[in-house]
Amino acid sequence: MTLTFLFAWLILGGLLAWLAGRWNKEAPRWISLGFMIVHLIVSVRLWISFLTNKGLTLAQGEWFLMEKSPWIPQWGIQYFLAVDGLSILLIVLTSFLGLLAVACSWKGIQERVGFFFFNLLWILAGISGVFMALDLFLFYFFWEIMLIPLYFLIGIWGHSNRIYATIKFFIFTQASGLFMLISILALYFIHGSQTGHYTFDYVELLGTQVSPKIAFWLMLGFFLGFGVKLPAVPVHTWLPDAHTEAPTAGSVVLAGLVLKAGAYGFIRFLMPLFPQAGKEFAMVAMILGIIGIIYAAMVAFAQNDLKRLVAYTSVSHMGFVLLGVFAWNQLALQGAVMIILSHGLSTGALFILVGDIYDRLHTRDMDKLGGLWSVTPRLGGFGMVFALASLGLPGLANFVGEFLVLLGVYQVSVPIAALATLGFIASTIYSLWMIQKTFFGKNVNEWKMPDATPREISIYAALVVALLWLGLFPNTVLRTSRQALKNLQQITSQYFQGSKEATTNPSVEELNKSRSNYGGLE
Amino acid sequence: MYDLLWLVPTFPFLGFLILAIFGKKIGKKLSAVVGVGSIGLSALITILIGIQFLTNPPEGHAFVQTLWTWIAADDFKVNIAFHLDALSMVFAFVVTFVGFWIHLYSTEYMADDEGFSRFFAYMNLFVGAMLMLVMGDNLLLLYLGWEGVGLCSYLLIGFWYRDPANGYAARKAFIVTRVGDAAMAVGLFMLFYSFKSLNIQEILSVAPHVWSPGNKLAVASTLLLLGGAVGKSAQLPLQVWLPDAMAGPTPTSALIHAATMVTAGVYLIARMNGIYLLAPLSMTAVAIVGAATLLVAGFAGMAQTDIKRVLAYSTVSQIGYMFLALGVGAWSAGVFHFMIHAFFKALLFLAAGAIILAQHHEQNMFKMGGLAKALPVTFWTFLIGSASLAALPLITAGFYSKDAIIWYAWSGPNGSIYLWMAAVFGAMVTAFYTFRMVFVTFFGEQKMEISHYPTWRVHIPLIALAFFALFGGFIELPGTLGHLTLFSDFMKSALPVVEGGHHEVSLEIFSQVLTAVLALVSIFVAYYLYLKNMQIVTNFTSTKFGHGLQQFLLSGLGFDWLYERLFIRPYVWLSRTNKRDFIDFFYVFLPWLARQFHYLFKYTQTGKVRRYVVGIVFGVLVSITIVVIL
Amino acid sequence: MTGHDFLKLMPIIILAATPLIIMLAIAIKRNHLITAVLSVVGLFAALFAIPGAKYTNGDQVSNLFIIDQYALFYFALMFLATIVIIVPSFQYLELRFKGNREEYYLLLLTATFGSVGLAASNHFISFFLSLEILSVSLYALVAYLRHQNDGIEAGLKYLILAAVSSAFLLFGMSLVYSQVGSMQFKDVINFLSQNGNYNFISIAGVALMVVGFGFKLAVVPFHMWSPDVYQGAPAPVSAFIASVSKGGILALLFRFFAEFNIVQSRPLFTIFALIAVFSMFVGNFLALLQSNVKRLLAYSSIAHFGYILVAFIAGNAQQQFKGVEAATFYIVSYFITIIGAFMIIGLISNEEREGMEMSDYRGLYWRHPWLSVALSAMMFSLAGIPLTSGFIAKYYILASGISTKLWTLIIILIINSALGVYYYLRVTVEMFSNVDAEQKATLISPNVGILSGILLAVLTIALVWLGVYPTGLIGSIQAAMF
Repeated sequence: MTLTFLFAWLILGGLLAWLAGRWNKEAPRWISLGFMIVHLIVSVRLWISFLTNKGLTLAQGEWFLMEKSPWIPQWGIQYFLAVDGLSILLIVLTSFLGLLAVACSWKGIQERVGFFFFNLLWILAGISGVFMALDLFLFYFFWEIMLIPLYFLIGIWGHSNRIYATIKFFIFTQASGLFMLISILALYFIHGSQTGHYTFDYVELLGTQVSPKIAFWLMLGFFLGFGVKLPAVPVHTWLPDAHTEAPTAGSVVLAGLVLKAGAYGFIRFLMPLFPQAGKEFAMVAMILGIIGIIYAAMVAFAQNDLKRLVAYTSVSHMGFVLLGVFAWNQLALQGAVMIILSHGLSTGALFILVGDIYDRLHTRDMDKLGGLWSVTPRLGGFGMVFALASLGLPGLANFVGEFLVLLGVYQVSVPIAALATLGFIASTIYSLWMIQKTFFGKNVNEWKMPDATPREISIYAALVVALLWLGLFPNTVLRTSRQALKNLQQITSQYFQGSKEATTNPSVEELNKSRSNYGGLE
Repeated sequence: MYDLLWLVPTFPFLGFLILAIFGKKIGKKLSAVVGVGSIGLSALITILIGIQFLTNPPEGHAFVQTLWTWIAADDFKVNIAFHLDALSMVFAFVVTFVGFWIHLYSTEYMADDEGFSRFFAYMNLFVGAMLMLVMGDNLLLLYLGWEGVGLCSYLLIGFWYRDPANGYAARKAFIVTRVGDAAMAVGLFMLFYSFKSLNIQEILSVAPHVWSPGNKLAVASTLLLLGGAVGKSAQLPLQVWLPDAMAGPTPTSALIHAATMVTAGVYLIARMNGIYLLAPLSMTAVAIVGAATLLVAGFAGMAQTDIKRVLAYSTVSQIGYMFLALGVGAWSAGVFHFMIHAFFKALLFLAAGAIILAQHHEQNMFKMGGLAKALPVTFWTFLIGSASLAALPLITAGFYSKDAIIWYAWSGPNGSIYLWMAAVFGAMVTAFYTFRMVFVTFFGEQKMEISHYPTWRVHIPLIALAFFALFGGFIELPGTLGHLTLFSDFMKSALPVVEGGHHEVSLEIFSQVLTAVLALVSIFVAYYLYLKNMQIVTNFTSTKFGHGLQQFLLSGLGFDWLYERLFIRPYVWLSRTNKRDFIDFFYVFLPWLARQFHYLFKYTQTGKVRRYVVGIVFGVLVSITIVVIL
Repeated sequence: MTGHDFLKLMPIIILAATPLIIMLAIAIKRNHLITAVLSVVGLFAALFAIPGAKYTNGDQVSNLFIIDQYALFYFALMFLATIVIIVPSFQYLELRFKGNREEYYLLLLTATFGSVGLAASNHFISFFLSLEILSVSLYALVAYLRHQNDGIEAGLKYLILAAVSSAFLLFGMSLVYSQVGSMQFKDVINFLSQNGNYNFISIAGVALMVVGFGFKLAVVPFHMWSPDVYQGAPAPVSAFIASVSKGGILALLFRFFAEFNIVQSRPLFTIFALIAVFSMFVGNFLALLQSNVKRLLAYSSIAHFGYILVAFIAGNAQQQFKGVEAATFYIVSYFITIIGAFMIIGLISNEEREGMEMSDYRGLYWRHPWLSVALSAMMFSLAGIPLTSGFIAKYYILASGISTKLWTLIIILIINSALGVYYYLRVTVEMFSNVDAEQKATLISPNVGILSGILLAVLTIALVWLGVYPTGLIGSIQAAMF
């Protein structure tokens, strides 16, 4: 029941917070905090038991935990939740960022508190569901569910242009989701007509023989669905608007988790379900990834609005994920997973920081900011760390992911890896620019504001520790996802064989031979 | 003792953490104790380990300490592990030892600064990162240190953040070096796929068996690594950031932008000597880059007015010598020059800092003058440093280290007469601008009163460094002058021995004498032009050509101008023009289109029954038509 | 007429008897409450007669009617819908109409009777008669608030246009009859299946009959009346028109074409496909910037019936996800949603006017959270967003369309769903936005009665329940298929 608990608990918490909000402003906060802490404990325990039990050696088709029961039997729809290492990581991330999202909304949200936390917890519930659902219908169900509360969250507590942003965001994600739904249904019928067994069960749908042409179209449907969420250029433009207008918690959840649902979808569903089509499309997708990395970084650099800048950096970073997924080798995938986690932390952190600045000064216009370091050195220090994480400084989390992705991509295509490396430069430009315009320079407007409060410091400190942890001890994460990713690759192995040997210069035997000549180096 | 190796970088990091978290609370005094103490401890352990290394070297002259597995994915595996051999020993020693003196000096230099503890935090972080760079046993850990020192460089250049110009200089440094780093990253990919490992020793030992000399991948990957090296070491064509980096506090310039970080490129190439040897083309490239840089920077140095910028260009130029040495295959000579350079250049910067402090933070040396009497210790130490930089024959360490390079530029395995000529000419230029600086600053009449007299915390580091700048050279003497090879013997276990010297001894003596004479002549010319008869210079620069030349040299030979137009402006223009994200126009267009459809269909909704009937009839007609047609 | 037939007809008979009883009751004493209660009781009685009819053998009752599982399913649906509509009607009339309110129920019940008759029709005669009973009742209902010009105008428009469409329908029927020689649906369809592609007259007849269907369903280009009528009619009547009246005709449409594969008849397929496509686009585009909520619902209803036509075209050919099942599910979901939505509009009314402008809903959430949550749920359901029945319904239709490979229609449906999201969201956005004090004074404050409140809650819960666990309804729909 742990898996059901992981999302039902948040549903319950949301409802309670809403009800409590009718009587008391404080109650919803504490309720949400309590629920999130329990959620975090449960998910971390799940992770630990995964690491200590047989989790690390799950064979293909095995799940660490699984819950399965019929839901709409007429249509072959099941209530099918299961987790492997990949899911567990994302769930832990959800809990962690969820907790921080609750904490960072503590002071900023003063109106309709109950409904706010209701929405926040329901988003998290939806996301938790996405990361666990293995029935395609159920997956789609969760996929869409998280949109409504997110829509409310931005639409009610957002900034001035929130209506435009929410509707844009909603239509983008809805429309793209429907295309994915078509693909899901088509796959369902194809599988059904072949086997006579109509089901949405992911495990059974794997390996459905689809003619290459149709598979390509179906893959495209999935690509659209996940690509909009990710977001991939050129379907990214909802994101800056949504981020700019969202309240801090909304941005944190959006950048930290909702986008990750897209990334997760690529890894879990798109490639394993349509390996051949995925491989054919890989070059296009990777080029989109590169364009995303560089284009978005350039646009980010031009922004005045601090939050919009950070939003574009998200687009840029997600380009790496796209690269990683479509390179589809162990290194790139591990890297993509690392980026998923680290970007969630670093960008979430930046959004929280921007939110805190905004709460104090009521502006995010970088032309008006400046010189804040002298006023709030602590905020500045944390901001610096987060900006550095974002530009991929080694020792912090993002670097590991980006490096592994590029390493993996290099195996597939050298020019693409080389071009993507330019992202290192572009990200440096905007990150430093952001720091310069915000914290450095003269404090022309003579802003005065209090430095970080203990609540804020603990949020930031938690994030910094997490970033450092992932940067210096990424193996905890890599170990967790290794077998899951291997299993996914196993599924697609017949289409992805041989690519590795092609770019490797000397054969492994050769190397071993020469290595044994020079023994004692290991 | 070796087991304590991990403590060497740990102390600085610890210091950084303490200062970053509690810096404001614990006050300046305690901050200084933490900041200097951590480096002191680190230096102490390094020296102790060094002594043991000399007396009781580990098996294979290398010691590896693995802390934990850093990244392991698929067949990619790197550890957080330290590798100590002669090369990293030298670098670690310089970093901690020179670093310690500079830290001590800083306690006075930064005493009045509000960011006192922040300064020491950054400096500690830098030392830690630099130690990671030189001690990492794999290229990725090296890369971590590499980027880490870049970060600290950025932080310290922009230390006085209120002035946007400092911020600009800091960003410039970070971004330009990052360009090189990007190339280096690709180089790492290439190496990984060639060797399935990023462990430096593994690569070095396996490479000769995998690559035949001149292998394309060897050339490509070494050139890419060279890209990283030129970025970090401010060599052509990425040298533009270093002069601007002088915006940082002077101790920073001494430690980071003279003694240690900027020589990381030298370390990288020296470290990867095995694969460079397999790529003669890259070796040549390294040598040419070095030769070109030493000349370009030397020329630029001749026209600078800012005392720190003179030193900056001289740093670029001296690193050019090191590159030249590496490029021609004189590995240990390059490293030797690095060490000596670290001593005398740190010394020069620190002394310059003392001068600046004494002159109301004025950096234009033409507004100074006659300081020799007022600041005797500073003067003498600065003079020693300058002499070493100008390679005054026989008595200075700089002479021995540079002489070796100049000689190998000709006689080394990759050497040529042209490289030798460049090196000799560079030496002449160096002597000229160095003593131009000395004469202008210390001689003539005093133009400003002294605002700050340095105390022992400045003097002791100066004297200590001056000692090494003078006598450090005597551990390696050329064949013509005593033939002492302590240093190169020590490096033998880590670096290939030069297989040069087939030229005759007479040639070597000729080269030495020529260099020495030219240096002395240059000093005299500087004396004549800037002390004795300044009118010549003034007259020259008032001519159109002279002025243009002066400006051209002052601007660092126009590289900034070029890059501004070639890269910066297009990038900024492109970004700014596209601020609204033109892709979004498409998505703005869609709702617009939908609205047009709305208005279009709205026309039909007139509210008039007759029109509605027409609608129905229209429907009927269409239906019937369809039936008829199909 | 046998005893079996009698039992079979029992629900209809009870339904027909109720207006008579009401008429008598009115003759004795006019009382709004008693009349309303009597109608509800009558409808419940009819509802309870359904199981009896279900377990009686012999579906065919005379030549005219067929009362099978399918018809009974629609019976139950329409009875329930009418009951639900009566409750807010009562409140609405109390508030807004000072004249005689009792005949309203009479008309509502006869209209239901007509609609129910459509669902059970098996013959052109019963079809036409039921349709006219329905239409005539509706003319009066639409114009019931006779002191209001809007209502009168709407009633007249409906009258004239319905007459035009009926004329075409009749003409079409006669054309078909001239070829087939029978007015039994089964015979007509058999004839069409065998000779359809060669017999021009009969296909033309069917094409003309489409006008009749199309008008009642308000699909393009027979849709133009609907916004005016929705707007002019009292909110509960609009709810009725949108739900029960359309449900009846749709049930008949399905039955008529049950054995006929539309995809195989090129002209009919083209006609229906065009209608579907244009209904979707025109409906959604017209609704896009509409600021009157009733008109917005009217336009959206056009689009929704476009969606349903996609399922209709998909037909019965497929094993999984039959089009008719999908459409029926959609209808159930749509009933709940649209009745709920109009109910809320009715509740947000005062004596002078109905709260049908978008601005009347501004900040509703902060004044009346539950009401606005209910309305949001309705809107999300209309938009087809998960957790609501509208999602499952749309999903069902998509599935049926995909199973028959109607790719073009499906893509168009998707595009339109995205369009639709926009204006449904506008309503919710309005409810969650802030109102300043000045605006606050002009807002209508809703008065939700206990019964309306409970009903609304039930509808909302049903909406969510069907969205989360539709298994039961799917099962009963599958069981009810012919």
